[in-house]
Order: sequence, then C-alpha cells, then structure tokens
Amino acid sequence: MVHVGSHETDRPAKKHANTAGSTLIELDEVSAGYDNQRERTRLIALRDISLRVTQGEFLAIVGPSGCGKTTLINMIAGFVKPISGVVKVRGLEVDGPGADRAMVFQDYALLPWRTVERNVEFAMENRRGHVPKPERRRRIAGALRLVGLTGFEKSYPHELSGGMRQRVGIARALVGEPEILLMDEPFGAVDAMTREAMQAELEKIIAETRQTVVFITHSIDEAITLGDRIVVVSNRPGTIREIIDIDLPRPRFDERNDIKRSARFGEIRGHLWKLLSDEALGAKWGSVARQEGGTS
Amino acid sequence: MTHVAPARQSTQGTAQVETITVGKYAPFKGVALTIVNLALFFLLWELIARAELINALFFPRASEMFSAMYLGFADGTILPEIWHSLSNFLIGLAISIVIGIPVGLLMGASRVADLILSPYVWAMASLPRVALIPLLILIMGFDNSMQLTIIVLSAVFPIMVNCMAGVKTVDPSLLRAGRVFGTSRVQTYSKIIFPFTLPFVISGVNQGIARGLVGMLIGELLGGGGSGLGFLLDRAGDQFDAPMLYAVLILLAVMSVGLIQSMRWLEQRAAPWRDTQRM
Repeated sequence: MVHVGSHETDRPAKKHANTAGSTLIELDEVSAGYDNQRERTRLIALRDISLRVTQGEFLAIVGPSGCGKTTLINMIAGFVKPISGVVKVRGLEVDGPGADRAMVFQDYALLPWRTVERNVEFAMENRRGHVPKPERRRRIAGALRLVGLTGFEKSYPHELSGGMRQRVGIARALVGEPEILLMDEPFGAVDAMTREAMQAELEKIIAETRQTVVFITHSIDEAITLGDRIVVVSNRPGTIREIIDIDLPRPRFDERNDIKRSARFGEIRGHLWKLLSDEALGAKWGSVARQEGGTS
Repeated sequence: MTHVAPARQSTQGTAQVETITVGKYAPFKGVALTIVNLALFFLLWELIARAELINALFFPRASEMFSAMYLGFADGTILPEIWHSLSNFLIGLAISIVIGIPVGLLMGASRVADLILSPYVWAMASLPRVALIPLLILIMGFDNSMQLTIIVLSAVFPIMVNCMAGVKTVDPSLLRAGRVFGTSRVQTYSKIIFPFTLPFVISGVNQGIARGLVGMLIGELLGGGGSGLGFLLDRAGDQFDAPMLYAVLILLAVMSVGLIQSMRWLEQRAAPWRDTQRM
C-alpha cells in the first residue's frame, strides 16, 4: 500500500499545458460519510484523503463501484461537506457549488423541455452578474462548435443519441468557462464505439480549453488514455491506494500510433488491473482476500 | 484528427430533413371514419328500436331522441340548463385548480406539509363524494353553492395528489445540475421543478374534470336545486320521457368527451419530450 501524502507534491506541470502547475484543488485529510438517522450510524465513505491537483492537470480517479469516487467529486463540487478535513480550491475552502467548477453527469442531466442551445444557456443564466445576451449567443455557438453539435441548436435532447446528449452536457459545462471540469463517469452510459470517439474528442477539447479535469471512471483503459495521473481508490471506506503518473506522450489518440499497443500502456494497465482486482476481491470476500492479493 | 472521423460524420453536419408525399385527404381519414361509425351506430339504434325488441318506454327510436333534442333546444328548455351546468362546472374547476396546484406542489416539496396534510387529503380523495351530500344539504340547503361545493370537493383532490406525485418524481440529477449551474431557490422551482411537474399537473386536471363531472351530476340529481342537466335528467325520468332522457345523456357524453379530449390535447402539447402513455 503506497501512501501518497508526499508523493504528488511539486510534481511537474501537465506536459502540453503552458500554464505553470500551481496547486488548484487541495484535499487535506478529508473524510466523508453519510448519516443514517434511524439506526444512528454513520457510513464512512472516504477516509483521510489527501490530494493535490495542479492547474491544467487531467486527474483520473478509478476504483471499484461503491468506493466513494462520486462522494469525492461531490465534495469538490460542493454538494457534500466533509465530516473532517478541508477541501480547498485556489486556497479557499469549498462552501457549496461555484461558477469556477462545472460538472458533467453520467446520466447527462439535461432539461428535457429545453432545446440544445437553451440547455447550454442554462449554465450562464442563473448566477448573478450573468452574461449579456449577444455574448451568450457567441459562447453557445462556440461551445457547440467545440463539441461538434453545430446544426443541432434547435433539437431536443430526446431527439439525440446518448453520445450526442453527453456532448450537450460537455458544452453546457464548458460554456461558463470554469477553471475546473468535474466529470462523473461521463461516458459510462454510451456504447463502446462512441465512447472511444468521445474520449478522443475530449482530449482535443481539453487541449484547447486547458481546463483542469477531475474525471471519474471505472474503466482502466479510459483512465490511462485520458489521465495525466490516476488515483486508485480502495474499497469501503475509500482511501487512496496509489497515485500513478502516466508518462505517455500526447496526443494519445493517434491513428498511426495506437497508444494502447505500446509496451508502457500494457505495463501500466497490468499494474492497475492487479490493484483493482485486489480491491474487487476485497469487496467480495472481505479483508482476508485483500491481504492475500497484496502479498502474492 | 483522423481517428475521430466516424463520430464527426454523424454529428458535425446539419440535421437532415427530407420531404415526403402524403395523400391529400389523409388528415381527414380519421374524421371520416368517426362520422361513418356514428352514423352506423344511430342507424342500428333506429332499426333495433323500430323492430320493438325492447319496450319503447325504455328504448325510444334514435329519431325520437333527436327530435326531442331539437325541440328542447327550440323551446329553450335545454340551453339554459346546459349553461347552468357548464358554468357551474367551469367555476368549480377553476377553484379546484387554484387551490389544488399550490397545495399539491407544497406537499410535494415540503416533508412537513406532506406529513400534516396527507391524512386529510387521502381521506377526502378516497371518500365517495355522494356520502357528503346530506351534510352539504344540511349546511347549505338546496342552494347553488352546494352544487358548486360538491364539484370542487370532487375535482380538487385528484389535482392535488397528482401535483404532489409530480414534484416527488423530479429527477434528482436535474436538481444537482441546477445546483452546479447556480440556480437560486426560486429558479429551482421555476426552471426545474415546475416544468418537470407540468405534465402531472395536466393529468391531474384531467382526472379532476372526470371526477368533477360526476360531482356536478350528483349535486344536480340529489341536491334538488331545480336546474342543470342533472335536473333535466331527473325530471325526464319522472315523466317517463325516454327520448328526452336519452337526449340529455347524449349531450352529457358530448360535453364530457369534449372537455377531456381538449385536456388530453393540451397534455401532449405540454410535454412533447415525454412518452405519453395512452390509455
């Protein structure tokens, strides 16, 4: 079990980003849990998570289902308050959602009675000091061009495929120009073909907009192909098992040179697979199996 | 970015729409079918009545029914009663909507309001309306306000219960999206909860119409107010005036179908994004 407290401090900035890597998101000894009022118990979802995310970094979080990945991203989003420890963004303690963070949801969470452009506009119309109308139009057009949905402005979500709906979700998250993009298994509900294409486009989009991304997935391949670093979260209560630097060159989606065939990719994949299967076994058969898995 | 080409193809271009040719009379096909269908129905009715298979006292000819209807309209016995019933019904429905929607929304949104109100709402929603008639007559006499009250009591609870159910089914991830993108409390209601609930509200009003019509009739039949279609029905029965009885029944059917169908039309308009399940 690798402890991470010092591991990720002053790590180099994202390879293809120009901005210097200053710490943007900071979690210090954070624990989270859910109270069960009736049984007077508290389920600990995450324990002692310490993590720094540098500006412009793409951080992927993997772990078995139910390990608290979503709780982690919800704390950064400001939905869930930690029971101990602090979550900071730009040095300020997170106290609820803010315009500096936007989220892409696994189930898209689009307003079904709004057209594509009105759904994207939703991100700019609620907070005070909102964007003036012509500026909004310009930004909506820009965001839709970025995700390849030009021409579908007047469509309703139910007329689009799953992949296209999630493009709307991404455009909505990007249009407010947030510093941080939180993605909670964004491609979990789309088919495998679309998924690959969307990953490639996401890499391209992020290279252009230079957001800092926290990306939850349970796909090892997705984490390796997208992430600058991968955080492996262990099972209930979730703790950080290991943090892995992905030193593969970018862009990772290149037809002539399939990154998935490289030896380094296979190496990281094997390592991750072993870590995660230990966790999965641990979840199934309790701590004994995990110990055996760890020593073998 | 050659790798992403397949996905681009399907999404980058503008949406394609092609024109198709449809027969000139195709839109009227349904209407024509209904007219033929109804004509056959009345023809069959006329034939069975003429064959005198059933006692003419209970089963007049269709032609007699139509002539009773025509005479009733001509000598002004029917129209004021339709007007009385319809205006009473519409006022009652309006009151039910004004009370039912806000209370229903409140019950859906606030757990405390739900806990306090739900025993009464469910008791009133389940109690057969007729049971209240003696009490209402005791309180209000044979006045028109008694008929109005029974309409409101019939229509308001389905509206309330549907609104409440609608609010409770609001997709939690839409609420999360609202928080991420900074909706205030009022905006959460106006931009997420109410639009989501709208189809439920309309189907509640729909049920309210059906129940309200029953309320209207029992009020007029048992309330002894001396006016309305229910009164006409009652009097025709007392006078063994079968053609008039059937005429009023047909008029009631037309009125109910008209109201319910127009609401159903509205229901589909309100939420084209939702698969409306057909009954």
